[in-house]
Amino acid sequence: MALLEVKNLHAKVQGREILKGIDLTINPGEVHAIMGPNGSGKSTLASVLAGRENYEVTDGAAIFNGKDILELSPDERACEGLFLAFQYPVEIPGVSTSYFLKAAVNAIRKYRGEPELDAMDFLKLIKEKMKLLEMDQSFMNRSINEGFSGGEKKRNEIFQMTVLDPKLCILDETDSGLDIDALKIVSQGVNALRNPNRGILLVTHYQRLLNYIVPDFVHVLRDGRIIKSGDKSLALELEAKGYGWLENAA
Amino acid sequence: MTQMAQANDRRKSPALHQPFIGPDYGSQWLADFRRAAVAHFDRIGYPSADDEQWRFINLAPITQTAFQPVAEPGHIAPQDMAKYSLAGRGCHELTFIDGVFAPAQSHFLGLDGLIEFHSIKNAAGGHSERVSRYLGHELPTMSNGFAALNAAGFADGMFLYLPAGVVVDKPIHILWITSRHKRPTVVFPRLLISGCSQSRATVMQTFASLDSDHPVLTNAATEAICGRDSQLELITIEREASHAFHITNQAAHVHAGANVQTLAFNTGALLVRNNLSVHLAEPFAQATINGLVISSGNQRVDNHTLLDHARENCPSHELYKSLLAGNAAGVFRGKILVRPDAQKTDSKQTSKTMLLSDDAVMNSQPQLEIYANDVKCTHGSTTGPIDEEQLFYLRSRGVSEVQARSLLTYAFAGDVLNRVMSPVAREILSQLTADCLRQLHIDAVGS
Repeated sequence: MALLEVKNLHAKVQGREILKGIDLTINPGEVHAIMGPNGSGKSTLASVLAGRENYEVTDGAAIFNGKDILELSPDERACEGLFLAFQYPVEIPGVSTSYFLKAAVNAIRKYRGEPELDAMDFLKLIKEKMKLLEMDQSFMNRSINEGFSGGEKKRNEIFQMTVLDPKLCILDETDSGLDIDALKIVSQGVNALRNPNRGILLVTHYQRLLNYIVPDFVHVLRDGRIIKSGDKSLALELEAKGYGWLENAA
Repeated sequence: MTQMAQANDRRKSPALHQPFIGPDYGSQWLADFRRAAVAHFDRIGYPSADDEQWRFINLAPITQTAFQPVAEPGHIAPQDMAKYSLAGRGCHELTFIDGVFAPAQSHFLGLDGLIEFHSIKNAAGGHSERVSRYLGHELPTMSNGFAALNAAGFADGMFLYLPAGVVVDKPIHILWITSRHKRPTVVFPRLLISGCSQSRATVMQTFASLDSDHPVLTNAATEAICGRDSQLELITIEREASHAFHITNQAAHVHAGANVQTLAFNTGALLVRNNLSVHLAEPFAQATINGLVISSGNQRVDNHTLLDHARENCPSHELYKSLLAGNAAGVFRGKILVRPDAQKTDSKQTSKTMLLSDDAVMNSQPQLEIYANDVKCTHGSTTGPIDEEQLFYLRSRGVSEVQARSLLTYAFAGDVLNRVMSPVAREILSQLTADCLRQLHIDAVGS
């Protein structure tokens, strides 16, 4: 069964239609990249799949794990196994990262009928995952994303992904604002999550990320539609020729 | 009848022509005190909508109801008492049922070695010299009609005398609990604290009332004298029944180098008006006054504060936060008065409100009256909804809507809670805040 099936998805925001018929299938174990110029609808697609409020789906369907996720609330989608790594992770002063992450882990476990983790088990889980991303323990005591640089916030997103163990990871322009070192660490984290059961959807503007996280499929989004799909070499062609090259192909 | 008398007649309630006069317990000074209060109420009556300070509050439900004082203190079942008692949470506890001291329901082991405490009823006889010296001096009956009615009518109260240099580790919790009555009932809690030089204590008051078919009016007065270099934390927790009316007048007189820190926590009653007045009387006196309001339904909470800087070099800091849901309405009026001698005043006032529904309303305004020329006075006010981006972020990780809203609103309340000095009190208030907020969100969202 496909992990995610998006069929003819149309969506608008603030009265404007942004997605004009997206078809996309992601099977377990696959890494897909969606590339496109600014305004093509890349982030909109990620937001619609995650369930952001201001987006109105006007047609089409999105089936995740066999369920119609457009009917589910954002927290239900997360419990089903969907994870969105934000392009601009928000700061939440006054809410500790540790408290929040434990609440998230246990909400998902509860939804799945699994026993909740106590403080000690949670700590063990966290320590294990922190090593992977070269993170400092003290990070857990801080408020969510507060006082972190852009790159560190992106890394925190990948850390949460690692802890929550989702079935489908949607990374929304994770590479934007990252220097090479941060990019390497983040990519390391994502690559460590590649397995035959998990799907990964990379939304990105630049080809550079795809040197580190090599995709199985590349799709080009333009004006709310996927106009071309291919394998990783498509990304290299785009890099060389620019998005304009595809205008003629569309 | 003169025009003035006529006007005042109109201000008085048709339901209450004569203020209720409490017993004098055989004490001449108390009888005189009450008489002066009655005379004063006769002159000024209840506040009216013409009074600038009372413009935003509709007192008709109070002034049009014939509230009766309690004849005999009622009974509180153990399970009801347990809801409000903090004796098991690390506090000394002095319990008042229907405004009368109930030693049998109190827990003050170890307190009598440290400080002097007397029910005012008893003090009227024995220690009347001290009580008569201080009672009513910080909260003169001139202030408003409600304060005058409290002075005339209080049945009993608590007098705390903190000797010089004493450090009271455990918070002193005064629990005022009103039982169920068969008619509209008024209770007049009264607290007088005299903190001698270098004394340090945390005093918490809880105001609670049991659900009943008849409204309850709590008309409370608190006075504190903070001696030189003393430290007093004064916390008021209002968890009254949903039909209750709650009016408090609190005044503190702060001597040189003393530090008073107050917290007004309101979450229960239908209509609340808190008047707080802090007089920084001498150089280097300090005050931090904080408030936390959690309201929903049709609740109305009105906080009026006055920080009176009389002398030089006094810092003051004010932070009031409100979380308003449903149809709730909040009022905040923080007045800062800086008198001519109060050079080098450093005053900061902040009022922040989170509106959790489309119908909740907040009316927040500072009032500054500055007569000195070398001062620093800043004030700021914000009002806004829950941050949707933060809410979505939490939910996108699997956290339910109720839990996410609880986390965000608790974080909003966080800096007020973090300012509580006593760790025991902070823990109690944090728990109470978390519980109130969780219930508020469950009611709004459905669990």
